[in-house]
Amino acid sequence: MKKILSFLLGSILALNLTISVANSAANEVRVAYFLEWPSPNLEDMQKKNFAKALGVPVKWTNFTNGGAMTDAMLAGDIDISYSQGLVPFINAVKSKAPIKLVDIAMEYGMGGTTCVTSNASGITKANATELEGKKVAVPLGTMAEYVFDESMKVVGADRGKMDIIQMDPEEGAAALVSGDVVMSCLFGGNSIKAATAVGSRLLTVQEARDAGILGIDITSVTTKFMKENPGMLRTFIEVTHEANDRYRSGKSDMNSMSKASEMKVADMKETLSGFKFLTPAETKQSMTKGNLDAFLKGMGTPRGNVDTSFLPL
Amino acid sequence: MLTQSITILILVSIVGCILYGRRLIKTEKVDAVFGNPERAKGGTHWIIVGGSAILLVWLYYSWDIAKGFYPKSANELCQVAKINESLLGLKYQFPIEEREFKSTSIIKIENKNLGKITNEIQNSQGVNAQQKSTLIGFVNKTSQLIPLLTNENLMEMDTKIKIKEMTDELRLLSSNFQKKDYPFETSAAKNERQIAISEQGDWGITKIQSGTGSIENTIEVPLVPATNKGLKFHSAAEELTIINDKFFKLRNHNPQFKNSIKQLKEDIKIYRKNLSDADEVASDYAKDIVKIARRIEYASIYPPSALNEMQNAIIEFDNLQKAEQGGLRLVDIFLFPAGTIVSSGTSCSEQGSGRWLPKPSDTLNKFILMSKPSVGYKNIPLLWIDMMDVSKIIGFILPDWIADILPGDYPVHSSDGVVKQNFKGQVLKVVTGDFKLFKIPVPYGHIWDSFLRVFLGLVFGILIGVPLGLFMGLNRFAKGFFDPLIELYRPVPPLAWAPLIISVLGIDNTGKVFLLFMVSLSIMIISARAGASGTQLSKIHAAHSLGASNKQILRYVIFPNSLPEILTGIRVAVGMCWGTLVAAEFLAGTTGIGFVENVAKKYFQYEVIWITIFIMGMLGLLFDVTLRKIIDKTIPWRGKG
Repeated sequence: MKKILSFLLGSILALNLTISVANSAANEVRVAYFLEWPSPNLEDMQKKNFAKALGVPVKWTNFTNGGAMTDAMLAGDIDISYSQGLVPFINAVKSKAPIKLVDIAMEYGMGGTTCVTSNASGITKANATELEGKKVAVPLGTMAEYVFDESMKVVGADRGKMDIIQMDPEEGAAALVSGDVVMSCLFGGNSIKAATAVGSRLLTVQEARDAGILGIDITSVTTKFMKENPGMLRTFIEVTHEANDRYRSGKSDMNSMSKASEMKVADMKETLSGFKFLTPAETKQSMTKGNLDAFLKGMGTPRGNVDTSFLPL
Repeated sequence: MLTQSITILILVSIVGCILYGRRLIKTEKVDAVFGNPERAKGGTHWIIVGGSAILLVWLYYSWDIAKGFYPKSANELCQVAKINESLLGLKYQFPIEEREFKSTSIIKIENKNLGKITNEIQNSQGVNAQQKSTLIGFVNKTSQLIPLLTNENLMEMDTKIKIKEMTDELRLLSSNFQKKDYPFETSAAKNERQIAISEQGDWGITKIQSGTGSIENTIEVPLVPATNKGLKFHSAAEELTIINDKFFKLRNHNPQFKNSIKQLKEDIKIYRKNLSDADEVASDYAKDIVKIARRIEYASIYPPSALNEMQNAIIEFDNLQKAEQGGLRLVDIFLFPAGTIVSSGTSCSEQGSGRWLPKPSDTLNKFILMSKPSVGYKNIPLLWIDMMDVSKIIGFILPDWIADILPGDYPVHSSDGVVKQNFKGQVLKVVTGDFKLFKIPVPYGHIWDSFLRVFLGLVFGILIGVPLGLFMGLNRFAKGFFDPLIELYRPVPPLAWAPLIISVLGIDNTGKVFLLFMVSLSIMIISARAGASGTQLSKIHAAHSLGASNKQILRYVIFPNSLPEILTGIRVAVGMCWGTLVAAEFLAGTTGIGFVENVAKKYFQYEVIWITIFIMGMLGLLFDVTLRKIIDKTIPWRGKG
């Protein structure tokens, strides 16, 4: 009996100790990012400039979607998520995750995230109501879902009447090619390229911009890291904005960026052409009363999860 | 209330069953030796202990026991978490929970970085000797910046006063915090707080979003302090945040340091300007040195003993607040295992096992909610009945081309816009099911769809696999011909086929059923073959000598002999099919249990994830129990031949 009891107590103690959220002091900074999603600061990542600026090693881990970034942050494996989509961030703070929005990575039109209808289906913007009752692939809980929702409002089709299939972009593109779905909403240069080979964008980049459909990717950080290492966070954002500045003045090293994002230079340039990297002042404007603010309010996001104090103004 | 009684019931039943079990051992005759299967028979009481233990672990690690016995504890812990949050930055500066001062570790890191860059410069090929000495001069100047910050005598009076002020504020907070009526709330503020409390609801509430009927995540820890103890912590946290912000605005910059760093920056700037384009390497090194200097400038580096008073004040307050928590601290340690409530600015949340392991009570509530056909998940119920016209089934069975091959044309509308039906048109209506007959109830929903996929995959696997397996067990040609094919595809994990099958057969049921068919087929073939070839020759000879035909031998000797193997194969196949199905539904789909889980994951709906896990477990168990019953009924000779 004693043996059983001591075994039970021992195992409970061991469990309690092991599961507890472990996060060591910042001997390294762990950053999440996307492949196929180029940004100027990837050049700094490739050249290890972040490690030089922060004074500690910076470990970059690539993810396939923003929700996974949140999961990793909550588990204590990631400190900063760069270019997390706004929708996954909103889902996370709605479920009360202790993460904060500290910077805007980029704003983009439909260049980077878009819905593509297959040519075989004959559906275009003009007869988009025909989508109702058909199958469409959407990566739920990502920016693409937001773009899908907004596009449907623009073309006047009812989302509720469609057969929405949860698919990640790579599979969505494959399903569009095989004709399983008539429309696929996706992000990522290679996936869009595969999809547009057999289809065309429902809304052109210009049409989407006119309709005010705008994607925003952000930099989010765990509350713990933000409180403990405010200096490092500020430096991280500063280096990022320096890189954006360099890109705006055309001095970025495209080869190193393409290597870091695992894309061909030409494809990367096309993807980048749809991105807008904001200056610190524009970022603050967007965060306090501009696009980002409107977006957050529109999605019913709990207040108090945006912090502009780390911007290099 | 329910959680409390269940917890107590579980504890009582565990203790009771263990005592009963021990008494039973003592009273029983010990005539069965070790290894005798009789010893494993019976033992319902141990089943109760096992089941209760699972429930207890679940209740404990999901913090449902805490919620049941101390419903207010989450709210109070949220206030404590606020203090921890505001102390986080300050504490991190001192060796309270860390091993060393933040200043110490920064100096250590930067000295290391300076050493590294010195090495790099000295070994660099792209920099000439003269540049090297200039650059190393810069490095030395940078490292000389540190003593300027850590020298007590150089510290500015103004900085000292500010630190003193903050220390005094901390001390004042400590002494106030001990008072009974802190934070001296006015009645107006109290009324306001009461209203806020009544609005915020309880710990862990589940709401249906009105209108859409979708289930929103509302695992919420109430934020506004509801108890006097909580209020104390809440107010102290607010004051601490102000002190914390003040501290991080403070810079330990004395005039000497300011001059040196300004000089250094300017020197490097001039040096870089004078460099030609060819000296890019040297320029980069200079830039890196500036970066280190700037980090030293912005880091909070203080003389070793300058912050001692402040550290003591923080430790003093920390101890005070821990003492003030009293019983709450025990609740936190023992009833909130593997995590705790964490505050993050405007919200408190469960972080640790309570986050991903939902409470049994919440899960049950949500399951009841989801079971309602009007709610379901993504507008599709879990399992419900739809009235379907029999005509649809007829339309599905009869091929459409029957109408096409009839002579004549389909009706064309006349000039006055009327369509007159003819015989060919009528037939088309029948074969496409476009008519009304009586309606029958048909099940539908996520569970039914998953079930049907497994069932169909299994049935096709049995229909093709069993005859083929028997054939292979009896015929040399069949064995030789099909063996390479089967043996090549059998060892491949079924999921490895999934991406390919989805590309070839599409994302509809066809693809998924085919995948499951592949899973069950190989298992069925192997087991039928083993059953057929394992038949005892004496039985076949006996039947043969009694005048049985080949057909009769197959029907009455070989088939019954291989039935046990086949039915065991089916049991194995069911398990494999479940595993594959869920993963297949993860890839693409609009219905099914796997789909529900995959979507719930995207929205952090942990309750839904656990509900799907339970449903799958229950369905798997149901399949298995049914099969076991069938086996017992149909092959009583199993294991006795």
